[in-house]
Amino acid sequence: MTRRTIVVVLAVVALVGGLVAWGAAWQERSTDAARNGAVVDVTDSGTVQREVSSAIARVLAYDASSPDETQAAAEELLVGKAREEHATLFASLVERAKDQQLVMDVEVQAAAVQQLHGDEATLLVFLDQTSRRATDQESSVAAAQLVVDARRVDGTWKVSSLRVL
Amino acid sequence: MTRRWPVLLLVLGVLVLVTGLVAWRATAGDERLDRADARDEVVAAATKHVATLNSLDYRDVDAGLKAWADASTGTLHDQLVQAGEQDRQLLVDQQKISTAKVLEAAVLELDDDSATVIAAVEVSIADGASPDAEPELKRNRFSAQLVRTDGRWLLEDLGQVGVGAA
Repeated sequence: MTRRTIVVVLAVVALVGGLVAWGAAWQERSTDAARNGAVVDVTDSGTVQREVSSAIARVLAYDASSPDETQAAAEELLVGKAREEHATLFASLVERAKDQQLVMDVEVQAAAVQQLHGDEATLLVFLDQTSRRATDQESSVAAAQLVVDARRVDGTWKVSSLRVL
Repeated sequence: MTRRWPVLLLVLGVLVLVTGLVAWRATAGDERLDRADARDEVVAAATKHVATLNSLDYRDVDAGLKAWADASTGTLHDQLVQAGEQDRQLLVDQQKISTAKVLEAAVLELDDDSATVIAAVEVSIADGASPDAEPELKRNRFSAQLVRTDGRWLLEDLGQVGVGAA
């Protein structure tokens, strides 16, 4: 074997080894776990958690004496499919609410980010819904668990889908 | 030039090899990747353990109690073991088959070796005394504390997120 051949063989071995190493590095960074910024991107996770909690509390609250507030909150904070889902969720409630002068308050107990990919996020939200009838001051509390999809639009997180568990 | 190309190829090869190894090594010590892996591990562990602690079959209480003990650590572990010894007969007599499923779970807080996970759980409770009856379905929500011991995430505390608890 000439020296020239040895150099060529070494060069090819180094090239192949290098490409394999690059491939392994790329693969490590492109797994589902690595792409998901939930909990890992501390600032973004905190922001989406805060903004979605407040958005959910507002769009699910209801006061029969000022139903337009819920409507306005829905228009401001919901996008896409969430609008329809919210309308369905509220249609039956509004019927009852009118007769009983229902007031519903929502308190988020816990919200945690499951998925965070750039401007898209998915959260698990635990909330309490307190409903009070103005007619007789009767009140009740219900626990609810939701999976919420959120989308960042012009720097603000909006709710794009709601699923009650 | 034509005589020099093998040397140039070797230089290029070594360059690709060295940078590739550096890039690969960097992933091992990358805090973001470690944290992402820990997050997914703790969600998987919580999903499994929270379901375990909400499941028990009266026909094999001992296996159920052992599973509870294996999924927990610290005070919770001791409490479960103690409760298991005291209430073993009661659990058998009640004739319930509880089967829990964690519908969704998410990490609330994550440190190196401890984490808080919230979980939405569905428990189906069948009555062994009336096997034809439809099992009762219950929805619960939990907050779980987990710690990493010997590389395994185990439950250190588990509590329901009650109504009005905030």
